[in-house]
Amino acid sequence: METSQQRLALQDAMVFLGAIASGTEQAIGESANSISYLAGVNLGKKLSVGIAHTDDIEQALNSTRDVLEQNDYLWLFETFKTHDQDTVIKESDEGTEVMLVFRDCMIRQSLFRFGHTQKGSLCNMMYGFFAGALQNIMARESSLEIIHAGENACFKKLIIRRVP
Amino acid sequence: MSVEIDVHEQSCRGCELCIDICPTKVFELDAEKRLCVVRHAEDCIACLSCAYICPSNAISHGDFHAVKNFYRDAEFCQRMDKFL
Repeated sequence: METSQQRLALQDAMVFLGAIASGTEQAIGESANSISYLAGVNLGKKLSVGIAHTDDIEQALNSTRDVLEQNDYLWLFETFKTHDQDTVIKESDEGTEVMLVFRDCMIRQSLFRFGHTQKGSLCNMMYGFFAGALQNIMARESSLEIIHAGENACFKKLIIRRVP
Repeated sequence: MSVEIDVHEQSCRGCELCIDICPTKVFELDAEKRLCVVRHAEDCIACLSCAYICPSNAISHGDFHAVKNFYRDAEFCQRMDKFL
């Protein structure tokens, strides 16, 4: 396919994605979040099949990043710590916490293209993706909370739950 | 690598919107001058929300990763071929 055609097709796909999210949210309200989450879980599990098991969080995050890169998903992320934090990984009552920064994101671009707000149901897909991938890689439950959805980057808190 | 942030002193009105929106507490209010100042540029994640929200357009950033506009990025369009 010619690049200009690809570009047009991609624009259409992104607008379509935004329209689906908007329509679903309007029709079924907050349940749209669960649908996107489960779609993300399925994707995360499917793409991380065969990835070596590890209990090391940094190794697991590297593997998750590799899965995204190998599949051409430009949903890349990096770990983050503030100037007063000694380490990237922090233990809390809820589990092990890591702050992540997401820069290039096709979902964010789709939402902007469609004029849709951030932190909606589509953003839950990434939450689901991490939950699915980390279930395969670490055999642990996790959550990915959006702390801040920015115009050029998003800031999220990944919590890996302790094994009960 | 630390992002460069500049607050234009003559433009800043000290409204504190940037302080409120910043997720990593990069800014502080200089109470004496009633201006927002950069305290921890090293904590900036370059989300650019401060620049977007500033009513007087006083905040600018340098040396940061600007996100790809996927539907205009020729290389990305080619990589997306398998999805389309």
